[in-house]
Amino acid sequence: MQPPEGHRPLPPPDSGDPSRRVRRIGGRDIVFDVDDFFWDPNAWSEEAARILARESGLDTLTDDHWRVIHFLREFYFTNGRAPMNRQLKTGLGMSLMSIEALFPGGIKHGARRLAGLPNPKSCA
Amino acid sequence: MNPFIYLDNAATSYPKPREVLESMVETYAHLGVSPGRGGYDRAVEAEAFVHETRKRVARFFNAPDPDRIVFAHNATDALNMVIQGLVAPGDHVVSTRLEHNSVLRPLHHLHLQNVITYDLAPFDGRGFVDPEDIGRRIRPETRLVVVSHASNVLGTVQPIGDIGRICAEHEVPLVVDVTQSAGRIPIHMTEWRASAVAFTGHKGLLGPTGIGGMAVDSETDIRPTRFGGTGVESKSLIHTEAYPHRLEAGTLNLMGIIGLSAGMDYLRQEGIDTIHRRELKLLERLRDGFSKTDGVEIYCTEDLTDHVGVLTVTLRGIEPADVGAILDADFNIAVRTGLHCAPLVHETLGTTPRGGVRFSLGPFNTREDVDSAVSAMAAIARAVE
Repeated sequence: MQPPEGHRPLPPPDSGDPSRRVRRIGGRDIVFDVDDFFWDPNAWSEEAARILARESGLDTLTDDHWRVIHFLREFYFTNGRAPMNRQLKTGLGMSLMSIEALFPGGIKHGARRLAGLPNPKSCA
Repeated sequence: MNPFIYLDNAATSYPKPREVLESMVETYAHLGVSPGRGGYDRAVEAEAFVHETRKRVARFFNAPDPDRIVFAHNATDALNMVIQGLVAPGDHVVSTRLEHNSVLRPLHHLHLQNVITYDLAPFDGRGFVDPEDIGRRIRPETRLVVVSHASNVLGTVQPIGDIGRICAEHEVPLVVDVTQSAGRIPIHMTEWRASAVAFTGHKGLLGPTGIGGMAVDSETDIRPTRFGGTGVESKSLIHTEAYPHRLEAGTLNLMGIIGLSAGMDYLRQEGIDTIHRRELKLLERLRDGFSKTDGVEIYCTEDLTDHVGVLTVTLRGIEPADVGAILDADFNIAVRTGLHCAPLVHETLGTTPRGGVRFSLGPFNTREDVDSAVSAMAAIARAVE
């Protein structure tokens, strides 16, 4: 899959930029931002998601978790952006409160981060 | 599902009064030529409308001179003009930690360029700055004090009269950002002894986005930082020094000025005191409702005497951005989350980097809206327990 327009180019590993850091996960070097979001959504893998989930206290990713993760990724690569709140709710047929409860870290730092979507930067 | 409940009026008021929208369309359809740029009657009529609006803004802010009502894109634009147009290399500026980035960033960039130094007065646990503290920070080289009238995060209304008195004693110009107070609390520019008041049209004044400006007193001269066509003294390559054109380059936002004028009409008819009292009653109801919800922390609303209808909370165990998303999708309630472009307020509150959830009331909110917000937050709190 091609990344959406406007995605951030991968920085050189030795760039020294404090806004990003490289971690070795599942035998691969992956660049993350300061909030532990994937720098490049294409660097995501299911194995990386499982490892990050374990780090957040989620030993097993259930079918519900995978459904949320795959919906987020499919929407992102189809539309070039993350789903809006109601698109997420309607697309999954789940309340956002349910998604919040499903992931340690909630919707943003849980679901979205494990799905490898970029860190939303709107006024935070 | 609730009907859509809008509680983000501190970002922009919504909806706009129907009268404002209709006036914008109808007046602009008739008058939408370039004001002050031609000799034909319609252009003269448009210019007369603009001048009449300057007079109305001057009355609204108790400003001394309608010719010194300068239109800008918004308060940020006006604050940039006034800050950059008043300071010179080596100057010092005093402001507060309550400020929005519309003040903090111009000051900080001037500091990074080695033009100015600046000091920020803190606010207390109730959300107020101490005027005497501002006075103590004034030095011989202090050229300017910039203070927001009402905090966009806490809603607290600052003692501008006392700050103005202290600035006058030190003979230092005072610039007041009335972004969150205009349209709710009377603005007494002359009584405050403010040198300039910066405003935006799209919040409490109920106009559209894209229009704002400032009122400048007769003793303050702001150095222009941009130049261009004004419709007057066109033969000269030197930008005119006369107000208001001194600070207005390019064709004015006539549609915005019409909306601003109509917004002030609406406020005059409804009464800003009436609207403010109603919002404060709703704010009290909101605060009291949240205070009964386990896990909700409310900031600086113990005493609502000097407040506008803004309340910020955090909810234990859940990211503010997620609270906002849940309120939006599951409860149809729009709020603003994060740092609210006021990073030092959140730093002081200890809510950095994720910020809080801000509920801000407007003239069209109801008790039912507030009760829905309280119920929704209680449901979210239960879900994340």
